[in-house]
Amino acid sequence: MDVQKVDMFLMTNAKYFDSHEVPRIKTRLLEMDEAEWSRVQFLQFKDPTMILIISLFAGTLGVDRFMIGDTGMGIGKLLTCGGFGIWAVIDWFMIMGATREKNMSKLAQALR
Amino acid sequence: MSLRDLENNNLRILTKNKLYSLLILACMAGFIWLFMSGQGVEKASPEHKYELCLIKRITDIPCPSCGATRSVRALLLGDFKAAIYWNPFGIIILLVMIIVPFWISFDCLTKKSTFFQSYQKMEGLFQKKWIIILTILLVLSNWIWNIQKGL
Repeated sequence: MDVQKVDMFLMTNAKYFDSHEVPRIKTRLLEMDEAEWSRVQFLQFKDPTMILIISLFAGTLGVDRFMIGDTGMGIGKLLTCGGFGIWAVIDWFMIMGATREKNMSKLAQALR
Repeated sequence: MSLRDLENNNLRILTKNKLYSLLILACMAGFIWLFMSGQGVEKASPEHKYELCLIKRITDIPCPSCGATRSVRALLLGDFKAAIYWNPFGIIILLVMIIVPFWISFDCLTKKSTFFQSYQKMEGLFQKKWIIILTILLVLSNWIWNIQKGL
């Protein structure tokens, strides 16, 4: 792939991933061929900050987990009043990392 | 197996182990809570109720799953009607709490991942629109019922 295109992609999308993953993403994108580019270019990622705000307000109902695609955990949180309220609080700190992880697995699936 | 496949496989095992340990922890917490609340629920006065629900503490409005503890306790005593009355979710919770530890220990002993696969299949079900809408409707109606009951 073109270096310029990859840099452009990373500039707009780096905030959706863990910072330690970015170099790995870069090398993978660089070795990718042109035909795959369109698949990667239009991927939609979840914004960790937005999910955090949702988690603060509706975390006890599991809405944050549902939104990032962790349906099983979402149901767990919903059925137990946000894990007796404890899990909901823990998730205020965990959800941004979880969102980035989900974004990463989405990208990895497209890159495969 | 290429390097990338190996990497993906590693990632999968990591999330599987994470899921299993989290679920075991959650089930343990559930049983501990059940035991603890069993010591005091009947004796507690209205001012000293066992309440962990954040929503109810802050807004005084019950959440969709308030009453689940009472429901599970009623189920354990064999009172099916009371369990449904307190909260139908209690039946799901008790089933999960009983089945999941056995299933996970079976997986760990036989080194298979049958539970993880069914978990993923279940998550896949929730990609379908009609299932999502049905679930939301059920949860909302349960919530309205909870508020009406004034749990």
